[in-house]
Amino acid sequence: MFRTTIFFIALFFVSIANQAISQDISPERKQAIDSLALEKVRDLSKYISLIGDKKTEFSEANRVIDRAVELFMDDSEVGVSSIYKPEVNYYPVREYLERLMRLNYDKVDIEWYKIQYVSDLEKQPDGTYVGVITVFQKFSGYDKEGNLVYQDVTKKDITVYVKRKETQIGGRLIGFWDVMLGDIRVKETAKP
Amino acid sequence: MKATFKKISFHLFLILFLVSAYPVFSQKLSSVTGDETNLYAQTKQVNQFFRRFNNEEDRFGDRYYPGDSLYRDNAFRSVYLNMLFDMQSSQINSDLKKEFIAQVSDNNNPLFLDFHSNYWFAELSAIFSYHGVNKNLLLFLKLEQENLGYKWVLTNIYFSEFLKNFFKGDEDKVEKSFLHPMSHELDFMNIHKAFDNPKYIEYYAHKDYHPDYLTLLFYEIKKGEMKFVNSGSLKFHFFQVDGWYFEVSFVNRSGKNSGWLITKLYKISDTEKEELIKFYLP
Repeated sequence: MFRTTIFFIALFFVSIANQAISQDISPERKQAIDSLALEKVRDLSKYISLIGDKKTEFSEANRVIDRAVELFMDDSEVGVSSIYKPEVNYYPVREYLERLMRLNYDKVDIEWYKIQYVSDLEKQPDGTYVGVITVFQKFSGYDKEGNLVYQDVTKKDITVYVKRKETQIGGRLIGFWDVMLGDIRVKETAKP
Repeated sequence: MKATFKKISFHLFLILFLVSAYPVFSQKLSSVTGDETNLYAQTKQVNQFFRRFNNEEDRFGDRYYPGDSLYRDNAFRSVYLNMLFDMQSSQINSDLKKEFIAQVSDNNNPLFLDFHSNYWFAELSAIFSYHGVNKNLLLFLKLEQENLGYKWVLTNIYFSEFLKNFFKGDEDKVEKSFLHPMSHELDFMNIHKAFDNPKYIEYYAHKDYHPDYLTLLFYEIKKGEMKFVNSGSLKFHFFQVDGWYFEVSFVNRSGKNSGWLITKLYKISDTEKEELIKFYLP
């Protein structure tokens, strides 16, 4: 499975090697980039579930936090609000994940809805493309007796930066699209 | 004629098919967390509001591109635009809504929203600490092109603490607040009158003078008198459809009619439009 993924990623890079940076992204290319971005969001979802899981050992959770932080551009933040308190509280990504790890429940369930919505990619002044992927998460916290003591559904709007880069392999310049995650807006939403 | 009828029949069939197929589809997609029909129906991003308004994506969020048969299809728009309105808003007149939908989806002169064009503004509520006390204000922003792309830029603010200091003079004093036309002959020795009473300074300015509240905000922040605390709710003001103004806000509730929806709709004249836009972009 891992080898197949690597093969397809490599194929993807090679196939786009000759595309000029300044060109607009074609629908086909956009779909390929969306897949790459969604892959990162899926990785993040997986990491969040692991970090929140009380069965994950402390040292392992810290390792997962490191992996998760690597998905993000430097200085990315998480902005959190609830239904009754629309003001946004800001946390650096690492702090947000560490708070998730330290939540005071005996058991935590983090489930992800299958739906995901991917925006168009827009160019910012420096030429980097930026888009937003929206996913939904259901969080449930239980006490010692197994009673549900807290539950919310949050909409997570995740910034995705897409930049054309080049690397030299065997003397040849190979172009590829680099995808990084950015700020995340976490909004508690009415239960669907 | 025959071709048009065929096209309409096809669209009707498609609409009926989609409407009847919707619950089945959602059941098939149900995840461990339950039915997701409402999440599909929700207008999840402003980007999706644009796409839905223009019929640039299908019911499940997959993009249509120019050349696709349903791209910007007006028959679909005339049906689905209704769902982009907040059904529970008391500020939307149903006759006006029908007229608006008919106008923008008119096959002969359809109107579409353009993300990059002017005439839409964001309004973000925010809290700033002002002289150590938390105060609410509104920030207005618009998209602006720069170099290779676009960025959001601040255009104006609404802050009652600033507003209450301008043009609030008593009428009888306002009438006397000027420098007479021969003041220059006296080397403007009377200029101090303009600055004696801070409440009336602005009446000594030229007739087109308008306080620049954005500059005041910047200045207060630079002086350390104001500090950003946090941001709050967001809405958008659209003037892209000639003769109309509408507001788009995030309706956070259960059910299918949720997300970024039209929460206000008004018919406006060109003059009213100009006046309103001046507020967002002085």
